[in-house]
This record gives sequence, structure tokens and C-alpha cells, in this order.
Amino acid sequence: MPFNAIPAEDYFNRENELHYLKGLSELKKNALGGDVFLEGARGMGKTELLKQLHRLLFWEDEVVPFYYSFKTANLKGAYFAKDYFAGFVRQYLSFAKKEPSLAQSAAEPFERLMPAISALGLYWLIDCIEDFQTHVNRNDFYWQIVAAISAPVIAAKKTGKPVLLMLDDFDAAGSLYESSFGDTAGLISLFRESMQNSLCPHVMTGSAGALEAIFTDHSLIGMTEQMRLGPLPEDVAAELFGAHLANLKITPPSAGETRFLALLKGNPLYIRNLAKAAWKMQKKELRERDLIECYSYEVSGGETAFYWSSVLSRYTQTPTQRRAMLKILMHSVENGVCEEINRLSILSGVGATETAAIMAAMNASGIVRDREAVLQDVIRCLYMKEIEGRDAVYAKEKIEAKYLSEKEESCFELVIPMSSNAELVVAKAVEQIGKNSNLDAEFLNYLQLALIEVCINAIEHSGSYEKKVFLKFITRPDTLEIVVENSGKPFSPETRKEIPVEEKLRMGIKRGWGFKLVYAIMDNVKVERVNDRTRVIMTKNIKDKEVRE
Amino acid sequence: MKQAQFSVASKLVGDAAVIYPKGYLNNLSGESLVKECGIYIRRGITKIVVNFSETDLINSIGISMLLQIMEDLRNIKGTICCTNMSKFLHDTFEMLGLIQHMTVFPAESDAIDYLKVRTT
Repeated sequence: MPFNAIPAEDYFNRENELHYLKGLSELKKNALGGDVFLEGARGMGKTELLKQLHRLLFWEDEVVPFYYSFKTANLKGAYFAKDYFAGFVRQYLSFAKKEPSLAQSAAEPFERLMPAISALGLYWLIDCIEDFQTHVNRNDFYWQIVAAISAPVIAAKKTGKPVLLMLDDFDAAGSLYESSFGDTAGLISLFRESMQNSLCPHVMTGSAGALEAIFTDHSLIGMTEQMRLGPLPEDVAAELFGAHLANLKITPPSAGETRFLALLKGNPLYIRNLAKAAWKMQKKELRERDLIECYSYEVSGGETAFYWSSVLSRYTQTPTQRRAMLKILMHSVENGVCEEINRLSILSGVGATETAAIMAAMNASGIVRDREAVLQDVIRCLYMKEIEGRDAVYAKEKIEAKYLSEKEESCFELVIPMSSNAELVVAKAVEQIGKNSNLDAEFLNYLQLALIEVCINAIEHSGSYEKKVFLKFITRPDTLEIVVENSGKPFSPETRKEIPVEEKLRMGIKRGWGFKLVYAIMDNVKVERVNDRTRVIMTKNIKDKEVRE
Repeated sequence: MKQAQFSVASKLVGDAAVIYPKGYLNNLSGESLVKECGIYIRRGITKIVVNFSETDLINSIGISMLLQIMEDLRNIKGTICCTNMSKFLHDTFEMLGLIQHMTVFPAESDAIDYLKVRTT
């Protein structure tokens, strides 16, 4: 329902977008603008922007607002038509009488609305209702949908007052069907006439991936412009968080302790959920540690976790598909997106066809595109819970530990090609990273050597088609951790035979010194296989003598 | 670590060849080193000094190439001496347990003096 928008004073930084959308009917009338596809990552506030726009238009009386959410709609054509039509009639009446409650009385049959409609002299609306009922009585599927979609156009034509249609999650309209899912393609194109009407601008939301698939109809593409709803700037995000906390009577963190908020990337949904998590956890005041705790709660079992879990459910039909999707998502979190269906099929545990369908659904949902830290943490938690069988408390503790330990660390990532002398680039990188941490030059030489050996091993023996080595350097006050990853053949140091040097020299064995050096130099070396990648995690403790004064 | 472009220079001092590997000693440069030593071995030289003063870094493949030279010389009953090794380089060979199988001198002149009195 469009009337549950947050108070205007708590709505931040979208003035320009609101102003533009508010003036859309004037632009369309003068052929200066058309319809708008409002695009943005999930949680960025697209629905909220529509609700704010609805409120503005509702009380200004110049343009009739009509909001419809496909997210919760029944996509069986006949049900959709009734819902869409009834929604429009109620919202129109609510607008005309300036009674928001009328729009919310979904159970009210049309007959009971008739006196109010007559009293307002909206005889054309009575005709509309009667026409629609005739199509329903005749069980005429096609004309029911056309009549429903055309109702706003008729209203605009009859009254001369523009109707601005706000179609939330419009991409779902691409799945409208007659009697069983997928039986009737292209019903979405019935919106064409409505979209072409100069008195009916449309503002639609949905994922960009789905948009590309839907707008294959060139007549729809030509008149639709894209508006991207970006993240809130850092200062506005902090201000919004502060406003939410103030409403919940929680003392906000000091300016120096809000760095963690950057992780939310200015996403209004995440910001609101984090504030609510603080309230649920009965925090009276927040410090950075509390923020981490509340965040960990949010991504493991809070509203953010629930939100993303619901999104996943929308795109999977069975528990097996959901598990497969989670495995693929976890793989993309850990290793980046992989497009190779056969490899993903092995990983997901379902056949190639089903894996391809899951990948298509993921692309349509925009989940893969949204490579942001919060989503990645939610995926980690879902994976722990649904694949590893852990509980939410365990997942929360894991996330919390991760961020608490990262507080004092800095992290560098590097990707090198598997080509000659590429390992020297890595050696240079570790030299500079070491210098940044004031590490002794000789100490760094050993680290360089160990790293070179691991890279050479990957380059020489992996047989990777990807031909890349991924490196991550994590520096902490007392340790340096280096993670080296590559796809290709598995490697296990356990398989290498420890032959005494004398024996080696006598037998003329000249190779096989690399990992001996690595083990001798580093304090801890762990080699693991993660999906199709070999990951070497090396840790070196930093003692006082190894730090330059 | 300077990691200069690898090059290998050499000279003959009496009946010994002195080789100067410069830069990063890896597979490619290691092969150049093997080749350079091979030239002298084919000319009948059995005493080789490898001066590491300008070698900043060596990897395991570079080490294996050096072992190749040691083996080639052992087959012809020759001698190889390593000199001017940095502490880092010395420690690297020590970590692998190879240092006791090498003849190491602090300076090139020490190795030359040693080889003068040594008959192969």
C-alpha cells in the first residue's frame, strides 16, 4: 500500500529525483519525457521513492497517482486483472475524496463503492466497472487484462487529469500467465498502449537484468528512460542513521566510530535495519563494537537476512534449487563469478540444465550483480545455516569475529597473470606492503621468496585455464597473512615426498625445493581446496626485531 | 631487492672461470648460467667460481639450475666455488640443507687462491 511511506522529514537526499518524477506528466504531455525505469540495487529505496511520490501527488491534486506492486501480485492473469483493476478504482476514489483509507479497503465490493462514485459524478468509472464485470462474467481472459490495464488511460482521457502509474517490481509482469506458469508469453506487452498515452506517465522499478529481458519490445524501449537510484553519500547515510536512532531513542556513535557504516554503502534499507537491530538488541548507546554486533545479528538472523532470504525464495521453486543456488552464490562470494555451467553443475550438485536455469534466475534477480559486502555476509550466513547446518548464533559469532579482527588490519588484493616473471610483481607488492608496516628489508626478502615459490607452483603446475593467480595480503600489528588462490589441478603438499638432501643430490633430483622453502620461512602454511581452487594461506608472525624503528 | 634485468658475465682467471650472475636467478636466467658454464666446461675448464655479489634473488628453479652445474662439474671431477653471497642467499641455501654440499668463500679472491692450489 502506498500510504505507509516514512515521514517526509526522515526522507533524505532524493529531492532531485522526486522533483523530476513529480514533473513527469507535464514533460510527457509536452513530449519532452516519457516513462521512467527506476533502477538501483536492492534496498536502495526505489519503493520508498514511489511512496513519497504518491504522497506528494495525492495531496497536491494535479496528477492522479496509482501505485501497484507486482512483488506481491498473483501473476495468474485473471487474478492479476481483478487485483489491478480493483486497486485502481479504490485508489482513484481515495484520491478524489482525499480519503487514504478508501484505497486500503480491499475487501469492499464495488457495489458498496457505487454511491460514492455516483456522488462524485464519476459515471465513466461506473461504465468502466460494468465493462470489466462483463469480461469477467464472460470469462474473457484477454479482455479482462486489457480492461484492467486500460482503466488509468480511460480515467485520464475522461477527466483530462493525468494519471501517473507507479509499477513496482514491474519485471514480474513478464511472468503473467493464463492458467499455468509460463503458458502465455508476452502479456507484458499489453501495457504498451497505456505507456504510449501522453496523459499517463509510468514509473517502473525492477532489476536491471530483468529490464533487459522485458524491454525487447522496441516500442517500449524508445519511450522509456532509465533513472538510477544510487547510494546515499557517506555523510547523508550517517545523518539518516542518526535520525533513525533518534526516533528509537538510542544515542548514536561518535563521529570517529561510524567508519563501520561505510560497509552499508549508503543503502537506506540496510541503514534502517541496522538502527532497528540496535533497538531490538536494547542498545541505549552505540559504539563501534556495538555496531559490529548489531550488524552481525542483522545479516545472520535479522530483517536484512530475512529480506535476502525471501528474494532467494522468489527465484527458486524447490529446496534442492535453493541449496544449489546458495552453493553457487557462496562460490561467487569466495571466488568471483563463474559462468562455466559444467563446473557450476558439479559445484551445485544439480544437472547442467537446472544449473543454467538457476544462473538465469540469479541474473534476472540482480543478486549476482549486487556484489556488496552486506549481501555477501548474508550469503555466508545462509550458507552456514542451510548447507553446513549451523544455527544463527554460530553465524552471527563468525561474522562478528571477522569484523572485530579486521578492525586493526589492512587488506590488499592483487591478481597476476600466469606469465613469465609475474611473480616479481608480487615480490614488489609485498616489499611495499612491508615498507608500509615498517618491516625490516631482510625480513621482507624471505617473505618475497616464499611468495614467489607459491606463485611459481601455481603457474607451473595448476594447468589453469583461467591463467590467473589471486592474492590477498592482510597485515595486522603482529602478523602478516598471505592468501594465494588459483583454479586448476588440485595441489597438496602432503603428496610431496620428503627426500633427504644427500639422497636427492645422489639421485640427481634437482627440483622440489619450493615448498620446503615456504615451510621454512613461514610460521604457518595451510593448503586447502575450495571448490575448484587451491588456496594457500601463509602466516608470518612479526616480532619486534623485524620492525624498523 | 633491486631485481635488475638478469645478465651473466664471465672471465677467465688462470685456469678458473669466474661467472657473475646478475639480477633474479630463475628458470630462464638459470639456463643462461648453465649455458655460460657449459661453454667453459666444453673448453676443458674444470674450475668454476660463481660470484653472487650482484644476484639479488634466487628461486627454487634457479637453485635447481645451480645444482645442474654442480652435477656437470662433478661428472668431470671439476670444482665449483660460490662467493660473495648475501646473508639472505646464504640462509636460503642453508634452509634447504644445501650449504654443506657447496664450497663457499666470502670473496672471489679467496676462491681463486683455493683453486690455485687445488689440482683436479
